[in-house]
Amino acid sequence: MFRQTLRQVARQSTGAARRAYATEATSDALKLSLALPHETLYSESEVQQVNLPSVNGDLGILANHIPIVEQLRPGLLEVISKGGETEQYFVSGGIATVQPGNKLTISAIEAFKPDQFDAAAVKSSIADAQKRASSSDEVVAAEATIELEVLEALQTFTK
Amino acid sequence: MFRLGASQVARSAGAQARNYATLREIEMRLKSIKNIEKITKTMKIVASTRLNKAQRAMTASRVFNKSDSEFYHNTEPESTDDSKTLLVVVSSDKGLCGSIHSQISKAARRRFEELKGNADLVTVGEKVKAQLLRTHADNLKLSFSGVGKEAPNFYEVSLIADEINKLGQYENIEILYNKFVSGVSFEPSQFSVFAADAIEKAPGLSKYELEGEDTATTLSEFSLANSILSAMAEGYASEISARRNAMDNASKNAGDMINSYTILYNRSRQAVITNELVDIITGASSLD
Repeated sequence: MFRQTLRQVARQSTGAARRAYATEATSDALKLSLALPHETLYSESEVQQVNLPSVNGDLGILANHIPIVEQLRPGLLEVISKGGETEQYFVSGGIATVQPGNKLTISAIEAFKPDQFDAAAVKSSIADAQKRASSSDEVVAAEATIELEVLEALQTFTK
Repeated sequence: MFRLGASQVARSAGAQARNYATLREIEMRLKSIKNIEKITKTMKIVASTRLNKAQRAMTASRVFNKSDSEFYHNTEPESTDDSKTLLVVVSSDKGLCGSIHSQISKAARRRFEELKGNADLVTVGEKVKAQLLRTHADNLKLSFSGVGKEAPNFYEVSLIADEINKLGQYENIEILYNKFVSGVSFEPSQFSVFAADAIEKAPGLSKYELEGEDTATTLSEFSLANSILSAMAEGYASEISARRNAMDNASKNAGDMINSYTILYNRSRQAVITNELVDIITGASSLD
């Protein structure tokens, strides 16, 4: 009789352990949502790692990161998928939030792959923005400085 | 007796003239209804082709806005009741789309009553502005028009958010919009946007780590633009689908009217012919 209960307990415990393992496996990976206002690039897809260009420096986000809110600066966003392939996007800015529950949501205004940019066009836009940055109109100058910031970050990635 | 006969003849001639006139009137009526049907059918087709695009824009903006709503859901910032609220009512410039505009302005009025008048209004779109000007002209601070012709883009949204920020600091901003539920229904809903102070005081904020001092300000400004974009995209999709339904109904009604008028037209034409025949035959038989 004792042996029977023992066996029952044993069965129960293995069952419980297996169940716990199963739930863990689903929540173990980092789920990335990368959204633009007009397009969704990733929607809760599981990835290995995401490298963010934040205003406080670059960060790499792995699974089980503590919840944070980061403002993005213009720079290169890297998404490393489960298989190890790297996707690169140049983002102009936005907000990245690590939510409790292993989710990373990035809302960026614009994101394009670096090879989609034309280096010559970037150069001419920089020259144009530099001209406007020295304008006497405060608003125009401020807009041009922001533009310049984005373009200069972009220039380092388009070669 | 002669005089009586003469007056009778005159009357029947009058009746005949009226018969001809009504025939022509019915014909003209019929033609104009047919034209209206053509227009409403075309508008319906245009709306249904646009609906797909609008729905795509809406799903994209929903995902875009989700990170914000999840953040608010986790941090639960509390709105302070005593401070003034800004109601941003989002609709559009164009009519002929059912009760979209009146529903949202009704919802705005209801919310205004709930806040006991301690609120200011900002409208996006001519139609809702016209409706709210009638009752709350004093509280209307700002209105935007010329939006909502296309699915919204982030540039125009950030311009709107910029203007709203210039109005000064509001502790609570509520955005009222028509939420797209399905192809046949929509419901007035709202987004809440919290000021930086409210975010900093939020009880659930400790779950998150915020680096830098002005992250809360950035977050609040960004989420304002975010929510307006989402509200406009949802409103646009519901407007298009409401217009499609309204035009579908209008075309159906026009079809029904065309049917009944064609029957009426044929009947009265036959009546006129019968009348003429009677006249001719009586005339001929009186000569015998």
